This record gives sequence, C-alpha cells and structure tokens, in this order.
Amino acid sequence: MQENYLAKWLNGELSGEELTEFKKSDAYASYQKLKDVSAKLKAPEFDVDQAFEQLKEERIGNAPKVIALNPFKKFLRIAAVIAVLLTGSYFYVSTLDKSVTAQLAEHSEVILPDNSEIILNAGSKISFSEKNWNEKRNVTLNGEAFFKVAKGKRFTVSTDQGTVAVLGTQFNVENRDGFFEVTCYEGLVSVTYNNAETKLPAGTSFLVINGKIMNTARPDALQPSWVNNESSFDRIPLEYVFAELERQYNIEVNSQNVDKSLLFTGTFSNTDLNMALKSISTPSHINYKLEGDNVLFYAEKAPQ
Amino acid sequence: MNNVCEEQVFSTIFKANSKTVFNYIYYKFGNEEKSHDAVQEAFVKLWENCAKVTPEKAKSYLYTVANNLYLNVIKAEKVRLKYAEPTYKHSNESPEFLLEEKEYKEKLDKALNDLPENQRITFLLNRIDGKKYAEIAEMEGVSIKAIEKRMHLALKTLREQIDGI
Repeated sequence: MQENYLAKWLNGELSGEELTEFKKSDAYASYQKLKDVSAKLKAPEFDVDQAFEQLKEERIGNAPKVIALNPFKKFLRIAAVIAVLLTGSYFYVSTLDKSVTAQLAEHSEVILPDNSEIILNAGSKISFSEKNWNEKRNVTLNGEAFFKVAKGKRFTVSTDQGTVAVLGTQFNVENRDGFFEVTCYEGLVSVTYNNAETKLPAGTSFLVINGKIMNTARPDALQPSWVNNESSFDRIPLEYVFAELERQYNIEVNSQNVDKSLLFTGTFSNTDLNMALKSISTPSHINYKLEGDNVLFYAEKAPQ
Repeated sequence: MNNVCEEQVFSTIFKANSKTVFNYIYYKFGNEEKSHDAVQEAFVKLWENCAKVTPEKAKSYLYTVANNLYLNVIKAEKVRLKYAEPTYKHSNESPEFLLEEKEYKEKLDKALNDLPENQRITFLLNRIDGKKYAEIAEMEGVSIKAIEKRMHLALKTLREQIDGI
C-alpha cells in the first residue's frame, strides 16, 4: 500500500489493484462509513450577502467614498470662491456711480430712475448713484445740462462751484471754467454759492463769472436755447462765447488782437458753423478765418 | 479591470471566498462569532491593500490575514457541526438503527474535536467544502503531500477513535 493511501482512496486516486486490496482489509467498512457520514456534515450558517453588506456599510464604506467625494469637494471650493467673487463684484459695481458723458459737438439725454430727464450739452458729464437714487437724488455735474425733475424728494445738482437744490421743476445749470449759471424755467430753484443761498423763481437766472455774481436778464424761453440747437448769450464776455463755439463744433478757436472781455449779446447756430461765425463776428466788429478745424478771430485791422 | 480595487472584482472575490474563510476559522476554533469577525477583518485588509494584492494572490492573502488574526489569542472551543437531513426514503428505519446512527455521530463529533487542529481543518474543508487537496495546500501554505499526510492521519485517527481501537 502506498504512502497516505487513505487520502488517495478518499480522493479516488487508488489503482484498481490497490483498491481491491484495501476493500479486503478489516478496516475498509469503517472507513467507508466514515466517508459516507462525513459527507453529510454541515458547517454553521453563513450569509454571504449579509456579510458583504456589513463589510460595505461598517468597514470599507467610508474609504472609497472619501476618495470619490474629493473632486466634488474641490469643485465646491472653486464654486464657493466664484460665488463670493461674483457677489462681491455685484455689490461693488452696483454701488459705483453711473456716469453719462456728452462728447464735444453732441448732446446726450439721460432718464433717471425716477423718470427725471437730463439733457447734456456738448462736452458735459454727469454721474449719479443708481442704487441710492431713491434715498438721495443727487447728480454731480461737470459742464452744462438742462434738468426736468420729476416731483418728489429734494433733488440736488452738485458742481465744484455751487449746489443747486429743487423739489421738482425745470432748470438749466452751466458749470464751466470760471462760469456758473443757473436758469430756472419752472417752479423754484435754490442755488447755494459760497455758502449763500439764492432762491430762483421761474424765469430768472443766477450767473457767476470769475467769482463775480452778475445781474442777468430774465430769460423769455421755456427751455434753454441750446436744447433747440442754438447758443444764446446775454451780455457774456466773448471768451465764454468762443469756448461754447469750440464745444458745439469740436473745433479750436483762437483770437488775435480781440478784447475777449467784450460783452456779447446774441445767438449762434449749433448746426451751421458759417452762420455761427457770422453771428459772432458781425455784431462784435471782428473778422474770422476758418481753416479746417481752426478758427481765427481777428480785429478789423487785420494783422499779417 | 484586473485590480482588486475595482468594486466588481472585489465583490466577486468576496462571494467566492468569504464562506470558506468563515468555515476555515470555524474548523480551527469552533467559534462562530470570531469566524464572522475574521471574514470582516480579512476582507477589510484586502480592500485596504487592494492596490498591492493581485486577484490571483487574493485568496492566500485572505487566509494569511485570517490565520494571523487569532494567533495565541483565542482558546479553541468545541466544533459543533450539523448533518444534512437524511435523503434516503426508508424513514421506517428500526429504532435500533436510528440509535446506532445517533451514537455514531456523537462518536464522530468527539473524535473530530480531539483531532489536531490542522488535521481537522484539512478533513472538514475536504468533506464539507469539497476543497481539493491542492486548494487546501494553497490556503495553508504547505505542499499537497503535507495535506495528503494530514488527511491520511485524520482518517486513521477518526476510525480508531470511533471503532475504539
């Protein structure tokens, strides 16, 4: 009999000869019974699926999920940063003042949040806070503009020379270098200049030239002439007339031997340059020369 | 796809081996609770090291982990095994026959518990789980010949115990 023949027999590996010999032995019946009975043995119950669920939930459930969550967390981080930036910039932008500019030789019209209207004359700029408009109706003006203010709270126009306050009316403010003029066309306007307040009823003007408050004639129109493409002057030094001409036509005006402090009363067209030049030169007894974008005014006794 | 870290692969390995890992530890210590724990521990370790263990090595890795888990830690208890219901029809067996059967099973139970641990494991893995000697050799990390030796001795000892030689 070979080594470990019992193991070989159990595994069916004995040769026919060996098997016959083994069957003859006394112990064979006992081994056969052992083989039969042990084949019916059963181990304790074991639920594979349940064990697997337990493994997934209690033990390894966390490990792979943490890995899986990582890219999403990264995405969330980026999203949070973007959200903060967007919100921040929204608040920043919305608190910025809105501004409107009229370039030289053009007009601009602005409708404010309360339907008030502003018409900007050439070379002018206004800015205001759209967000705080309901709390504070305030416009900062550089240049000249005509206001039609809707009724409501106090409406102020701030300039570097003076402040204009109204409740609801139509008025014109001109704030240029050394020249500050407010004209009221409807209602009542209050002008603060050098801490002194002046009330302007409809049809009156307030004019300051080079820091000097001037007496002005009563305007007879319902709105400033420039709104209808004309520039009107009433005893205004030529210097300011030239400046207005430059703005309306986007040209350069020079003068030679001309007394620019001479007062000019009259009107020039904002659409026809030749007409405008004649309108200025004829009553002032001066001549002009137009070359491209340059205009030269000179005294009658023409220089060479 | 050939990676234990793939849930599909891991799940397949679990379904194919968990029951045998459980039985293996049970044959060794006769403690069901510890056998359940051994399954969990062995597969957690496998999952944690899934990148290092190839699917081919996973099986012996599991038995190594399960084996090392209870080194010197627990006292072996009695292994209690059940028997499949007799399938043969003649249930009108004589009372003497039934009594004889009962006595035989009791003797076998006792003989199994008295077997050296490694012989019992080999015998039961073959008889209950139908494992081939080669598979058992792989689990135990020994040669097939060593398993045949254990099996031979197990049969011999059991028969002597039962027959009262």
